[in-house]
Amino acid sequence: MFGLDYSWLSDPVYQGWLLRGTLNTIALALTSSAIAVLIGGFGALALTLRIAWLDALIELFVELFRNTPPLLQMLFFYFTLSTIGLRVTDPATGLSVPLLSAFDCALVSLSLFGGALCIEAFRSGLDSLPRAVTEAARSLGYSRWARFRRIEVPIASRICLPALTNILTNLFKTTSQASVITVPELVYYAGQIYNDTFRTAEVMILVLLIYVTLVSLLSWGLSRIERALAFPGYGKGN
Amino acid sequence: MQWPLSYHEKKRLVQLGIVLTLAAWITADALSGGAAHWHRVWMRLPLLLTGSGDGWPLTGGFVLNIFLGLGSMALAAVLGTLLAFGMMAKSRLVRLPCFFIMNFLRNSPWIVLLFAMLYIIPFNVRLFGVSIAVPAFAKALIGLALPTGANFAEIIRGAVQSIHSGQWEAARALGYMPMAIYGRIILPQALRRMIPGWMNLYALLMIATSLATVTGIQDVVTTLNTLLSMENERVIVYFYITTLFLFFAYCYPIALLARRMEQSVKGDAL
Repeated sequence: MFGLDYSWLSDPVYQGWLLRGTLNTIALALTSSAIAVLIGGFGALALTLRIAWLDALIELFVELFRNTPPLLQMLFFYFTLSTIGLRVTDPATGLSVPLLSAFDCALVSLSLFGGALCIEAFRSGLDSLPRAVTEAARSLGYSRWARFRRIEVPIASRICLPALTNILTNLFKTTSQASVITVPELVYYAGQIYNDTFRTAEVMILVLLIYVTLVSLLSWGLSRIERALAFPGYGKGN
Repeated sequence: MQWPLSYHEKKRLVQLGIVLTLAAWITADALSGGAAHWHRVWMRLPLLLTGSGDGWPLTGGFVLNIFLGLGSMALAAVLGTLLAFGMMAKSRLVRLPCFFIMNFLRNSPWIVLLFAMLYIIPFNVRLFGVSIAVPAFAKALIGLALPTGANFAEIIRGAVQSIHSGQWEAARALGYMPMAIYGRIILPQALRRMIPGWMNLYALLMIATSLATVTGIQDVVTTLNTLLSMENERVIVYFYITTLFLFFAYCYPIALLARRMEQSVKGDAL
């Protein structure tokens, strides 16, 4: 069809590369998502304490990571972490090697980037709680922590689920930029394949399809969770 | 200021403190040998900004990123408007393909779309027997405009559908034609809600223009990478911080303004 030649796909070497690349992409996306959600949770929790200096620092972190390109952040971590001292001496060769591999650097930068977005999403979720709800909880005699755990988090987490879906799909797509710092994920292996076969258009179309499938699956799964957790009056549970 | 300080006053103070600490750190660093590094960055700044050592002509660097962002946004506006109206069409035959295209573009990574455009768009296009070379810049423009257009369409659709259905009914009861309802009643109201979304999208696009380095155009990241191959390891940190700051200084005010406007639009729900 359209003169596209996919005969290279039958080669087990290329199949292996594609599979390994896909698995690495998924691993990178899952790990960084998990860390990002953790950062977001703790960040939003810290923001509810309303400690002025902590809030100012968190805000700085969020704005810095939200308004600079993830690609440059990745390059920054990749090239500077080892320069400023994160190095170990390899016992086998005696050479000084960077402590963090390319994969680790990508993981660090993606987690921080996603974490900054998550903090913002969770904060706005907590902000959008109706005052009446927290006031009712307080008048029922809930302590601050119990109110947070039993009233605020259950409602706010449902409110910010759509935003979280956006962030996690975005993070999944951003993992493709890790190929620039030589992380062997899908786009990296795609480059290897078309350098071998010169079938650039075919490889890129296939990679696009793989990404669209994975991201669609992710957003479908998250929307299923959203619907399962919805309760009347909040979010989609009208 | 009164003595027990309010929360916001305390926060302002801490922010001031952070800025002062940064300034102090930079000064201390400059005094302890960093000045030479900063001087190197200062010397290369015109190159980073415009892609040429003298600062003129404006053929690359950060200025090229700005051009790319503006051009892609214009192209995305056309594409997005068409897609949005396609998605809101009554006919299923128009609506479903538009939904499919929108979801495809939104769910694919920007860098992969850029790569795909780089390789799928031919190097030469033959039009009426004239062969026109397609520059890498045009490919980057299209590659960035595709996902932006899909997001643009979603913003339009979201804003139009957030207009209360009573507006439609009232307009129909007054005898407006469907196109007139769109043009005179729905769109003027929806426009107010779209603008913050567009500004956010523009900030996002501006950040994404850094990806255009994969197409090989002389944008700020490409310039930076060529530059750094001639520099020693320690100066690299300073160059990266400067480039990150360029993006921050351009995108943060836009994002901030968008958030302010979002707050002001929030009230008119009906």
